[in-house]
This record gives sequence, C-alpha cells and structure tokens, in this order.
Amino acid sequence: MATASIKDSQLRIMLNAGTDAEGNPIVKYKTFNNVKTSATADQLYNIVGAIAPLQQHGLGQVERNDSFTITPV
Amino acid sequence: MAKTLELKFLNEEGKVVTVSLNDPVEPADQAAVSAAMDTILAQNAFLSSGGELVSKKEARIVERNVTDIPLA
Repeated sequence: MATASIKDSQLRIMLNAGTDAEGNPIVKYKTFNNVKTSATADQLYNIVGAIAPLQQHGLGQVERNDSFTITPV
Repeated sequence: MAKTLELKFLNEEGKVVTVSLNDPVEPADQAAVSAAMDTILAQNAFLSSGGELVSKKEARIVERNVTDIPLA
C-alpha cells in the first residue's frame, strides 16, 4: 500500500488584462506559494475576493495546486 | 513604470511577510486595502517559515522606474 500526503499548496489567480493586437485575450497570472496545506476553498475564495478589487484587471479563474509525496505505508 | 501594491504583515516571529499585487488600482482605497488585509488575517490561509500572519504592519505602492542608457 502506498499513501499520498500533501506537501505544498499554491493559490493561482488568472487575471484578464485585455486583448493583444490580434484580439487574443491577454491573461496574467499571480501565484501565492505560501498557502497552508490545510487551507479550505472557502478561505482562499474569501482572500481572492478581498484582494482582486485592489488591482486593475478583471478576475478570471482561481486555481489551487497541491503537490503530494507518495510513500509506502 | 511598473507599480506594485505591497501588503506587509508580521508573522509569529515578528518578521515581515509581504503579499504583493501588480498593477494596483490608483489612488489606493485606504478602507478597501485595510479591509482586505483584515480578511487575509482572518482567513489565516497563509503560512510563512516564521509562522502564521499575526498582524498588519503597513501597505504601500512601490514604483519602479527604468531608464535605458543607450550604448554608443
């Protein structure tokens, strides 16, 4: 048997920064690396809701990336 | 001229932890910035090597000016 335990968590926000010369949407990313692995979706959502209005670009997708280590039990 | 909004907190060790955002809305809405920092503390979802975020320290907008020097 092997088990996966969570190692790191990252919060990634996609921001819509207009369109480029060809009309393709420009997407900017902001990544927060120091997220607690125990953070809940609610907590992250509330944080994004508070800080997104402080900057100029429209809020796109909000992502959470977790990495796990797999070890034998 | 790139501007960055820096939100500075103190962690359990008394060291400064910065959450930064590019392209801030200007002029900065003091109440919104302060409330956002309160939310970050209340949600308690960030962790630094020196522990959790404990209190607000300061917020500032930092501007970086770049002047290219032409090399003859």
